[in-house]
Amino acid sequence: MSENSRSRWKSLLLRHETALLFVVVIEWLCFNAIGPRFGTLDNNFDILRHTVEIGLLALVMTPIILTGGIDLSVGSLLGLCAILFGKLWRDAGLSPFAAGLVTLGLGALAGGLNASLITLLRLPPLIVTLGTYSLFRGVAEAITRGADTFTNFPASFLFLGQERWLGLPTQMWLFCGVAVVVWLLVHRTTFGRSFRAIGFSPEGARYAGLPVRSRLALVYVLAGVVAALAAIIYTARLGQAKADAGTGYELFAITAVVLGGTSIFGGVGTVHGTLLGVAAIAVLNNGLVHARQPREAAGMLTGALLLLALSAGVAPKLWAAWRSRHHASPSPAPKST
Amino acid sequence: MPAPLLELRQLAKSFGGARALRGVDFDLHAGEVHALLGENGAGKSTLIKIVTGAHQPDSGTITLEGKVVAGLSPAAAHRLGIACIYQQPALFPDLTVAENIGLRLEPGSALRRVGWRQRRDRAVRLLGQIGANIPPEVEVRALSMPEQQLVEIACALGAGARIVIMDEPTSSLTQKEQHLLFSVVRELRQNGVGVIYISHRLEEIFALADRVTVLRDGQSVGTSAVSEINEAALIRMMVGREMTQIYPPGESAPGNVVLKLRDVGCKASGVHAVSLEVRAGEVFGLAGLVGAGRTELARILFGLTPADAGEIELAGTRLAIRSPEEAMNRGIAYVPEDRRRHGVVLEMPVAENMTMAVHRRIFKGAWLRFGAERSLALDYIRDLAVKCSGPDAPAGSLSGGNQQKVSLARWLATKPQLLILDEPTQGVDVGAKSEIHRIVRRLARDGLAVLLISSDLPEILGMSDRIGVMRGGTMTAVLPGNADAHAVMSAALGQTR
Repeated sequence: MSENSRSRWKSLLLRHETALLFVVVIEWLCFNAIGPRFGTLDNNFDILRHTVEIGLLALVMTPIILTGGIDLSVGSLLGLCAILFGKLWRDAGLSPFAAGLVTLGLGALAGGLNASLITLLRLPPLIVTLGTYSLFRGVAEAITRGADTFTNFPASFLFLGQERWLGLPTQMWLFCGVAVVVWLLVHRTTFGRSFRAIGFSPEGARYAGLPVRSRLALVYVLAGVVAALAAIIYTARLGQAKADAGTGYELFAITAVVLGGTSIFGGVGTVHGTLLGVAAIAVLNNGLVHARQPREAAGMLTGALLLLALSAGVAPKLWAAWRSRHHASPSPAPKST
Repeated sequence: MPAPLLELRQLAKSFGGARALRGVDFDLHAGEVHALLGENGAGKSTLIKIVTGAHQPDSGTITLEGKVVAGLSPAAAHRLGIACIYQQPALFPDLTVAENIGLRLEPGSALRRVGWRQRRDRAVRLLGQIGANIPPEVEVRALSMPEQQLVEIACALGAGARIVIMDEPTSSLTQKEQHLLFSVVRELRQNGVGVIYISHRLEEIFALADRVTVLRDGQSVGTSAVSEINEAALIRMMVGREMTQIYPPGESAPGNVVLKLRDVGCKASGVHAVSLEVRAGEVFGLAGLVGAGRTELARILFGLTPADAGEIELAGTRLAIRSPEEAMNRGIAYVPEDRRRHGVVLEMPVAENMTMAVHRRIFKGAWLRFGAERSLALDYIRDLAVKCSGPDAPAGSLSGGNQQKVSLARWLATKPQLLILDEPTQGVDVGAKSEIHRIVRRLARDGLAVLLISSDLPEILGMSDRIGVMRGGTMTAVLPGNADAHAVMSAALGQTR
């Protein structure tokens, strides 16, 4: 094996994504050994089904975090869009398909609100989306007055969330579509390139003549649209739309993205890393149920996994710094004067 | 005669390849105001940072009152009575004057009672000592800049400072405020404090200082009593006589006017009434001191802080430049001064940095084409002789000069009509510097209009076909390329001969 290809293999093995892939596989094998029903096809489809909505949010959270931003409002927006979808279908009499299209548009509008506050008023994304986090959920609760839920959707619609198509849970096809689009956007277009430039150095990107504002606007609008899509899938999976849909999902999504190796400071990260992060969390949650562990254990382990991943990320640097301090060749004597 | 308060012998300091100080001698006596004078980049700030313990010298000695000090840290410098008053005072705006002074002077323990009366009394006493009439219970945010500087001086006094360094303290002051500050400096001198006074304004030095030391290219070129020297001699010392570098010859066959400014100004950045013309094939040097408005002018032309007055014409067309994108699309390229923050994205590879301004041209339909990117990068790496391990090396792993070439390549790739270079060789080692000079000369020969901003006077003189001198936000003189250093420096300092 040549020196060059050996170092390429080594760097591939040392990649964050590779390590995470091992974690996911080991998780799966462990739970398969413990829980008798864990490894069945049905259960694995169950894992996928339960993961799609958070997975979608994590996918669109990735470009946002790459730009050095954050969107705390996606979970609330999911709830709002679920309600709006229910309203459009039941009260406005639209077909589920038409209602879905309108909901996607409304999601884009909501994302546009975040985008304009961030790019035009130059407010920090954390604060803006903390505001819309409350706002979107509040509007959803106001519409339903906290009590109204939407149920009795037609079977043709529930097919999207509860049945299989071509051998896979139906919503998986949508998820895969979005994953491919986001992957191409981030890794194969100038858009992704500029997201990372903005994340590393917003000023540097501006001085390079990159359209910083419109790129930022794009990622937040995209998040809005995909949150709406996640709302529709959520409604189809549970067969009902409630105002509290998607509560806390934004934090799961951020956890998955960061676990997937994306730097919260921006610039560094991959979409496939995010997918692995989502998988690690999903397998853990489902596996613990099968291993008859309490739900709280999932939270504890997810937290521990995240902290471990973050520490592992900085460990090589610290190790290198420590080595250079203690094992450096004797430093040249100070210049004599 | 007692030992001097501070004595520096043969101080030297390098940053990477760039030698900031190469043998500086300096001494300061108690009860003396010793002015430090030099062009931008002569080494004044490095010298201060060494005396305040922020940097360690590579070689040379620092002697305080007869004792040699080694490994001076900021805390040690503070303990030994060295204080520095910066242009922008570092006070807490929401705390009162007395609280700010208290924070600096009281021992830093969380569990101690605040002696409010004591704190107030001390503030009154210290401010009284320097004749400053500032009530101690006022919040610092309500104070003017010079008043804040006075508070800083009071802190320095309270800490028992024997050496006070003032770094261009008057740069943002009005005439009246200057007089107040001057009387405080004289007060300090009376009290036996040694003051190192840094300023570009010759009249201040003659009004205030006892002695003056001139730095040039990191060396002290001379120390003299102020009473024994005149302005002309000082300027001569600052600019030196010999040119230390060979510059590529210019060819003055300028073409059409590419850039034409008529009374251009921008309130927000303090630039007003700038008129100039730059022709194709010409290097137009822009000289002036730090704060003269040169970078601000460049930022106007690149749409970072759009002009709000005057007319900008590019190749005969009048236009408004409101954003960098717009400037870029019009054929204006700007290689910024702060290379690490603005010139390149340090974490990104050389190739990605080089294509960053030409996404639309080489990535048709927004799809990345790695092959095209790589070949463009390899072309420029070869063309500009960029030393790097390859197109995939992070820009941050390159030396300063090579980072600068990456930044330059990015903008050459846009095929501009006008290239603005802002301090292109600052912090760059000598070899890379002359390479950059040759590249700039070649670009001009190929018909590019170049606006060269530089604080390096020999560079301006050696490279420019014409020289514009700015001072106080406006153009004060346009000199021919063969003007002498004395003429440029005089215009930059606002001296009429």
